[in-house]
Amino acid sequence: MSSKPGRVNPTVKAAIHQLVIIIFVVIWLIPIYAMVINGLKSNVAVYTTPVLIPPSSPTIEPFQAVWSSLSRPLLNSLILVLPVAFIATFLGSMAAYFFYMLSNSFSRVSSFVSNFLFSLISLATFIPYQATLIPLTKLIADMGLLNTYWGLAFAFFIFYMPTGALLMSIFITAIPPRIIEAARLDRGSDWRIFYKLVFPLSLPGFISTLIFNIIETWNNFFIPLMLTTTPNMRLIPVTVQSFTGGYATLYNETFAAAFIASMVPLGIFIFLGRYFIRGLIALGTGGKGV
Amino acid sequence: MVNVMAKGITKIYKSRRKEVVALDNVNIDIHSGESFGILGPSGAGKTTFMRIIAGLDIPTQGELYFNDELVATSNKLVVPPEDRNIGMVFQTWALYPNMTAYDNIAFPLRSLRMSKDEERKRINEVSEILGIAHVLNHYPRELSGGQQQRVALARALVKNPSILLLDEPFSNLDARIRDSARALVRRIQNELKITTITVSHDPADIFSIAERAGVIVHGKLVQVDKPSAIYSSPVTVEVARLIGDLVELNGRVEESNNKIYAVVDDFTFPINKVAANNVRLGIRLEDLKISDEVSLGDEWVFVGRARVKVSSYSSGLFRVTVVPPSNDNTEIVVMVDRPFDVGREVNLFVKSGKVLVFP
Amino acid sequence: MRIQGLLMAIPTIFFSFLLLYLVIWNLYFSFTNWSLLNPHPSFVGFQTYASLLYMEYFSISLSHSILLSVGTVVFGNLLGLLFASLLYFLGNEKMRSIYLSLLIYPLSISMAANSLIWLWLFNIHIGINWLLRLLHLPVPLWLSSPSTEFPSLMVVVIWAYAGLSLIFYLAAFMGVDKSLIEAARIDRANPLRILFRVLLPNSMNGFIVSSALLFLFSFRIFSPPYLLSGGPTNIFLQTSVVYMYYLFTTEYFAQASAVATIITAIATAVVIPYALYGIKRWMKHE
Ligand SMILES: Nc1ncnc2c1ncn2[C@@H]1O[C@H](COP(=O)(O)OP(=O)(O)OP(=O)(O)O)[C@@H](O)[C@H]1O
Ligand SMILES: [Mg+2]
Repeated sequence: MSSKPGRVNPTVKAAIHQLVIIIFVVIWLIPIYAMVINGLKSNVAVYTTPVLIPPSSPTIEPFQAVWSSLSRPLLNSLILVLPVAFIATFLGSMAAYFFYMLSNSFSRVSSFVSNFLFSLISLATFIPYQATLIPLTKLIADMGLLNTYWGLAFAFFIFYMPTGALLMSIFITAIPPRIIEAARLDRGSDWRIFYKLVFPLSLPGFISTLIFNIIETWNNFFIPLMLTTTPNMRLIPVTVQSFTGGYATLYNETFAAAFIASMVPLGIFIFLGRYFIRGLIALGTGGKGV
Repeated sequence: MVNVMAKGITKIYKSRRKEVVALDNVNIDIHSGESFGILGPSGAGKTTFMRIIAGLDIPTQGELYFNDELVATSNKLVVPPEDRNIGMVFQTWALYPNMTAYDNIAFPLRSLRMSKDEERKRINEVSEILGIAHVLNHYPRELSGGQQQRVALARALVKNPSILLLDEPFSNLDARIRDSARALVRRIQNELKITTITVSHDPADIFSIAERAGVIVHGKLVQVDKPSAIYSSPVTVEVARLIGDLVELNGRVEESNNKIYAVVDDFTFPINKVAANNVRLGIRLEDLKISDEVSLGDEWVFVGRARVKVSSYSSGLFRVTVVPPSNDNTEIVVMVDRPFDVGREVNLFVKSGKVLVFP
Repeated sequence: MRIQGLLMAIPTIFFSFLLLYLVIWNLYFSFTNWSLLNPHPSFVGFQTYASLLYMEYFSISLSHSILLSVGTVVFGNLLGLLFASLLYFLGNEKMRSIYLSLLIYPLSISMAANSLIWLWLFNIHIGINWLLRLLHLPVPLWLSSPSTEFPSLMVVVIWAYAGLSLIFYLAAFMGVDKSLIEAARIDRANPLRILFRVLLPNSMNGFIVSSALLFLFSFRIFSPPYLLSGGPTNIFLQTSVVYMYYLFTTEYFAQASAVATIITAIATAVVIPYALYGIKRWMKHE
């Protein structure tokens, strides 16, 4: 095949293609690059060298400086987020199974109920949760659960259990319906069909949902901001905020703090990113591909 | 055992402005312990009918009774599928992919809460009969098509169902093992006397398994009878085509010597009296013969001289296509036990009384 | 048997109804005059809503929220589409997934942490302006000037969320029948033609999903405006959510509830149709 005149050489084309992508990728990486290199700069260096220039003499001094105030929140987040995300996802999956059965039964009532519940869990997933600020704070306070793990867990469940149900509803539809029908004819009880068939068969979907919930719960800034006041109960994203003063006053520890706060979700993203992506896709369509 | 009665069952699927009538006023009484076959072309509504019997779908109209007990009525499930005691083999088997063959077969038994020993005994028994005892600890993906089909059958049988539903049970099998699978199902059905409904578009399944059969075309149940009776006197040409190979011809009705004939080019086929002037003829392949002889005895009637156009071979017989000398396009296929040379003239015979006539 | 299934769903149903309760609670108190000055609220009908209309902050913050959401939808979609096309036509599967990760990683980091880093990057002396100056490009004042403050916020949000759009377009493209693309390739159609004639017409779902999610996610964004502005009172960055938080901290409870109800209503208007006519339909489709 001889290349026609006027046609760009394919190698050149491919190189330009790559170059354009790389330019965007580099721009997109600037913040994380800044976070990493500036976390290793000394006090003076942070203020005097440009943010994008790596430190001439790297130091872990900032990490040591923030560690004492971040270790407890980090621990709090770990203790709270993993079990909360797991329970929310698991209980949500059970509900997803119920919704599946409901939308496949034939009575008019059940299709109405299923639409209603589906709208409700979608609302809980997507609502600006800050809008529930006053009643939520009041509810948790009335239960005497302000500044406790239980109070935070309870509040997280309100939003992330429906998220789990919504995502799992989508993943469950990937199971061939005949299999579930066969199990019904075999007189499997709902619980048995769920934990013998639906749960194992949608395990990849469950992991995606779990990871999505872990990352979302971990990064939730507002709910812990409202429901905790004592330093001992702080979660990590809120604590990070204390490394900035009002009106854009900058502190050199910001980077190290941001790095510590992002470690866990970034680590999960790096190692289990494809599950996170599948969770996001399911949030949209349950679509295939990617 | 259970008798299944459908009264005026109609199923309409509505989807995006489009309506599909999958079943249209189906009435049938399937006797207790009977092996019933349902034959129909693709998309006729066979699976839909099966799903309604199983309770996995509901009729838009009509009623379904098991032993005179109403189980489903217009848009309403009276008895849910799990309470109908149905064993079903799905068109795609629907084995549980995350369980071994043993656990697949055990699944319905676990719901019955029987002892482990009893369970093991029943599973061994049924897998002995079906010849899958040696693959019980394999996962479905590790089994051959035939083994998967038998595991699905074992899972359906092990719970002693009152009704056995088989949806195209042999369509995914090699032709080689299909016959033994058919024989197996027939034998088990015979022994256990379970009311069995087998759906297929392959008449061979129906002949080998069903005592009685119904034919569904475009959602309508058009004929119910013994398979052999449907074969020899189908109500329409579609039914005739469905249940066996057929030579189809268009003929002009003529009368001579007080006898009625259908004339197709140079051929004259003896038929019974009909009102129409033009008819459609259907003749089973085994009811046609070609020969060099002038007469083949009383059973066979001479139709006319024919020329051999194509001669080919299929499963033990020679397949000869002949045409009338005056028209090269009126092709008639005849099965014979020896080859005939292309271009020769032969005598064409039809078995007396075997010409099917459709208006 | 149905009972057992229902029992399994009880926890989720309980928490979902609790959410409904919180929403209705807001609605109820938005019709009262509850505040620091009125600790014993009484029913005042639409008066609280009416009073909001006279508050400059309310309309400004609402318009900020809407501007931010619409801006994110428009630019997020454009960038997402561009990225998805660039990645789709990349022959190499492995490279594609690496680039994909590098472009969507901001989704996994807390917005609070992101905002802090961007605060530094927006520093007019040593932030990205240092680089822009080196390259002889114009240097905006970012957060230091009222006119560029809001666009700066937009940059952060779009940087963070363009990946969402990328994922959905890429998923939609991947879902397009390969043979269609191959047929077009054989006809020597160039990638742009394939994009506009084959991929885009088949990516309606991608567009709907990406727009709905970009809208919903940016509408509820809190920490970037809160942290970039240094507090809830900076009028140039105040969004509805921040304004509501401000009303709450100053104990204008009824007004905060009214703002919360308006926010919820706007989100609901997007969520319910999306859930019932989008997600639920697509679920049945498979
Ligand atoms: N869930 C459904 N929604 C809409 N239409 C349907 C549905 N199920 C079946 N149909 C339609 O109803 C008709 C009958 O389908 P059915 O599956 O019963 O046919 P069948 O006789 O089993 O065909 P096959 O031999 O191909 O299995 C078809 O036109 C089919 O498209
Ligand atoms: Mg079928």
